[in-house]
Amino acid sequence: MIITTTSTVEGKPVQEYMGIINAQSIVGANIFKDIFAGLRDVFGGRSKTYEKVLEQAKEDALRELSQKAQSMGANGILGVDLDFETVGNGGSMLMVIATGTAVRL
Amino acid sequence: MKSYFGSYYSPSTEPVAATVLVFDRNLSIGYRYPNGRNAMIDWPLKEVEAKYNAPTQQTQLRNTKKPGELLVIEGSEAATYIQAIHAERQKPWYQRSNGREGIRNSLLLLALMGGFVLLYILIVPWLSENMAGRVAAKTEQQLGDAVYNAMNLQAQEDTAASRVLNQFFKQMAIPSAYDIRISVIKEGVVNAFALPGGRIVVYSALLHKINTYPELAALLSHEFTHVNNKHSTKSIFRKLGSKVFIGLLFGRFGSVASVLIHHADELKSLKYSRSLEKEADMEGLALLTKRNIDPAGFTGLFTHLKEAVPKGAMPAFLASHPDIDKRIAYIKAASTTAKVETDSSLLSIFNQLK
Repeated sequence: MIITTTSTVEGKPVQEYMGIINAQSIVGANIFKDIFAGLRDVFGGRSKTYEKVLEQAKEDALRELSQKAQSMGANGILGVDLDFETVGNGGSMLMVIATGTAVRL
Repeated sequence: MKSYFGSYYSPSTEPVAATVLVFDRNLSIGYRYPNGRNAMIDWPLKEVEAKYNAPTQQTQLRNTKKPGELLVIEGSEAATYIQAIHAERQKPWYQRSNGREGIRNSLLLLALMGGFVLLYILIVPWLSENMAGRVAAKTEQQLGDAVYNAMNLQAQEDTAASRVLNQFFKQMAIPSAYDIRISVIKEGVVNAFALPGGRIVVYSALLHKINTYPELAALLSHEFTHVNNKHSTKSIFRKLGSKVFIGLLFGRFGSVASVLIHHADELKSLKYSRSLEKEADMEGLALLTKRNIDPAGFTGLFTHLKEAVPKGAMPAFLASHPDIDKRIAYIKAASTTAKVETDSSLLSIFNQLK
């Protein structure tokens, strides 16, 4: 599976466009992570706890995207776009939306 | 997750080009039949055997439950990746990378919580009491008056009885920085309480139960100690300190945590309240013995309170005051050597009440 943000793949022409697919992952950092991150906010510096949560959400979204593409018989996803948002009460949860075009290369 | 291109061999079909997605627990194979139909197969990773064939430079993946099926991927990377996942899974949980991280985080969290608890149990109350000690008597008086006015008790005040009680207290000649003002309120509650800054409220039901002047002296000296030792002000500051601390720590995390913590806080403040009551009893007793007033006034007073409290009420650890039997016991133990004389002036003032 080739997952790329570009609209073409070098040396591999698109044989078939199979449509737009998207996948989202909404994760909540737990209360303890919030406490750690809150301390980071006070003392300054990078919050690895939140970074890890974000990374995990991105991984989950891309995994779901590639599963969707695979189930359609695609072997590549072009023009992938990742959107990051906060949802929930007071923006307490993170949402990652991955969008792309499933293709057969 | 990793993805690869490979060829899928099965007994029923011709070899087909396949996309392979390798996840933490499974591996999914997607391919297309020559007739254009899509197919997907899922292999649990624990059933997958990965081998790198050096001469052909290919990775061969076999499913132990499905003999005859074979997945061939160019290069060694897929084999290395899957073998690494297998190796990680064979370790006990505490040696895996996320297990270790979990242990480290829990320890860190425990230390942090311990620090917070220490701060909450020792430092916050200490700091709040210290601050309460610095509050000027005048400020306390304003605070007490504000509370008294807010309670709207003036209309029910028995001014004649109040006058007698104030006179009685003056006669006891207890030195204090506070201007003690006693109010008798007509109500059926067997109780009395002290507000910050010198206001003492006695309900008429309790006053009616009091038979002797040492009992009245015991009641007033107990409430006076509450005022003089700033008990109400300290309680208010402690509560305030706790609330601010909890608010800073848990304010953002909704109501669930705050309900739990609020109740723990309540129990803690009850314990504190009991310790203050004992202090008021003991120092009140000291005031009585200094003036040769009969300490039996306390035991008499407690007996009246006990009669007013329904049987099977709160156990001691849930109550704001110590158990009455315990109070009687420690007062008796502390007053064995007291010298008793009848004070005729106090007696004559007391008799005005009857």
